[in-house]
Amino acid sequence: MVKGYAGRYLRVDLKEGRCSDFTVSEPLLHRFIGGSALGAKLYLDGFPLNADPLAPESPLFVMTGPMVGSGFPGTSRFAVCAKSPLTGIWGESACGGTFGPELKRAGYDGIVITGRAKTPVWLSVVEGEARLLDAAGLWGKDIYEATDLLKKGDPGLKVLAIGPAGENLVLFAAIGNDKGHFIGRTGLGAVMGAKRLKAICARGSGRLEKADEGRFREIHKAAALEIKESALAGSLHAMGSDANMDIGMINGDVPVKNWSIGEDFELSAALSGPTLSESYLTRAHACTHCPVACKRVVRVPDGPFQTEEGPGPEYETCSIFGTMIMNRNLAGVIKANELCNRYGMDTISCGSAIAWAMELFEKRALTEKETDGLDLTWGNIDAVLELLPRIARREGFGALLAEGSLAAARRIGGDAVDAVVHVKGLDLPMHDPRGFHGMGLAYMMSNRGACHLQHVVLATEQGMASWPQLFPMKDDYRGTTSEEKAELVFHSENYGILGNSLSICHYLTYCLRPETIRDAFNAITGFGYGFADLMVCGARDWTFKRGINNLLGVTQRDDVLPKRIMTPLKEGAGAGSVPDMERLKREYYALRGLDERGVPREGKLKELGLDELRERLYP
Amino acid sequence: MAAYKAMTQEWLDAWKEKIAGSQEYKEIAKNWEGSVSIIVNPDPDKGIPEPMYFFTDYWHGEVRDFMICDKAKAETAKFVMSGDYARWKQVARKEVDATKALMQGKLKLKGDLTYVVRNIKTVNKVIDLLCEIETIWPDGG
Repeated sequence: MVKGYAGRYLRVDLKEGRCSDFTVSEPLLHRFIGGSALGAKLYLDGFPLNADPLAPESPLFVMTGPMVGSGFPGTSRFAVCAKSPLTGIWGESACGGTFGPELKRAGYDGIVITGRAKTPVWLSVVEGEARLLDAAGLWGKDIYEATDLLKKGDPGLKVLAIGPAGENLVLFAAIGNDKGHFIGRTGLGAVMGAKRLKAICARGSGRLEKADEGRFREIHKAAALEIKESALAGSLHAMGSDANMDIGMINGDVPVKNWSIGEDFELSAALSGPTLSESYLTRAHACTHCPVACKRVVRVPDGPFQTEEGPGPEYETCSIFGTMIMNRNLAGVIKANELCNRYGMDTISCGSAIAWAMELFEKRALTEKETDGLDLTWGNIDAVLELLPRIARREGFGALLAEGSLAAARRIGGDAVDAVVHVKGLDLPMHDPRGFHGMGLAYMMSNRGACHLQHVVLATEQGMASWPQLFPMKDDYRGTTSEEKAELVFHSENYGILGNSLSICHYLTYCLRPETIRDAFNAITGFGYGFADLMVCGARDWTFKRGINNLLGVTQRDDVLPKRIMTPLKEGAGAGSVPDMERLKREYYALRGLDERGVPREGKLKELGLDELRERLYP
Repeated sequence: MAAYKAMTQEWLDAWKEKIAGSQEYKEIAKNWEGSVSIIVNPDPDKGIPEPMYFFTDYWHGEVRDFMICDKAKAETAKFVMSGDYARWKQVARKEVDATKALMQGKLKLKGDLTYVVRNIKTVNKVIDLLCEIETIWPDGG
């Protein structure tokens, strides 16, 4: 058995109610490592790409990587992948939490699920045994309730569950792990809902075998020291990811009023990491084996937005339910976050749809007649809190937004589409490319649509990290230029996407030296990879998923930034600046070996050892 | 404009004067309370044979002590920032952003990071004003 892996994968056929094991060959693991990269490989090899994402035959993958369960900091990650019902292209999302390591301990590296159950079920994976169980008593429950019920039966279970949004096929439905960690993006909760799979739970006591336990312990110790000395880790521990709110507003990173205003310091001060910590934080919380503990646990003790102690919002959520909708009430953001968690909805896409609706409401393209009486004036967080359950239940106007902002805008027609800020159907995360052109290119080229987590551009372009030993880069980049950015994005993608295969948290990737991550990976697996090998794995992963997207219809026409982002802001650090899309694309295509159609050239596919993809793209 | 030798009392005084004369600083820094010391690690090749210590003090938009000091005094500051001479020079010449240098581990900070983030505009302004001083560096430039 290859070290670092549990050595088997679980296949679940919901139609037949059958669970069986399969293995993945060592050469395949050497090429794709794990995580979403291996999920993509299994998808292309074994399933019909043209199937509707919500059809029974479309598979859902839950994947870990070899570092998961090792105890190395930041390696509690796992990925869920499928054809996205929101975008119609490759979909994936990853999170930390507790589920990944527990699945490994339960004896599996990953799960592949197909079919549709006749009635709602949940999947139990306990100590190497998989069973499908009746979920009638769970269906209709929100994620917090379902998680509590499942843990009541077995407190040791680590739970992955959907809420009403997933059950009702809201196209940006999320999947929650133990209430506080979310597979948010690309609507994978709806894929679970379509399969009538309410939850997946794991418990196990297995131990991961490493290639060199002694060496691993040494590296682990060095990693702990690096984290202790890292200012970024200190910042994440003290303020969570929302530390970005203050700094980002100065740097032109934070979007305001559906991407139409360049800065608002009163908003950022009201919604910032320090404000969250000082006003509502009860404690920091960590994913399994993480010393950073960037997660916020918060409580709103009284008032209209009162919440019990529970998982708090991250930066993205503070921005989407704060700056993006002109709401300066942080307690209201906490409440919106709690509702999205409970119903199981991606805060970014859900909030983006609401910000879009607010803009249309201001322009009178939507009125209270269409919104079922809701006053969607900017900043009206009360209306947002009323709207969220309606989206999750697909009620009235909520049903329109449940389709996602792009589909909703197409239904309204006219200028409504111009107010949707997306790439390939996925709403932009809360980092403005007008302040950072490299991020714009990364959004254009990310394989799941606009994404800040399929690469490490956030860290490299904004100067949180500098790794000249890994690829040519400067200590300090100017955000508002497109010069030198194509190469930066290319390398930052290869390294960041690699982190997704290894299943290591991006924040830890920022805090740790690449040598430490490389050495830990080798001590666990015995693969003996150098930087060049690892970066090739990253490039292979990117190209493979691009090829899948090409087969799903993606071309160079889809590699564009939305009209709103190509409209200069009047104020802030990004004022007057927009990414030079044509230049970025031209330079990037050359580096990636994409032809004028946006398809990987045959030579590039050969170079990366992707013959199976070459045969599909060049039949 | 007069040029000052870096890391001398005259240089510190010029910096202090710049800050004290900035109306924008007064407005931004009205909530800032406390001292910041700067430690420059030795680099004999660059003309810095021993570590150097500087103490600067700020209070609600006003500027108080700006002095060369010893290690003991430097360590009494609310915030202690340390780094190699080359890094400080890059920061003072606006070649590297101080926040980025901090995140990359090229500068170290002891003190309440939350307070710094809350007041990041004040920090940036103080550094911007330092960058405006014409400086003669021990190793040239």
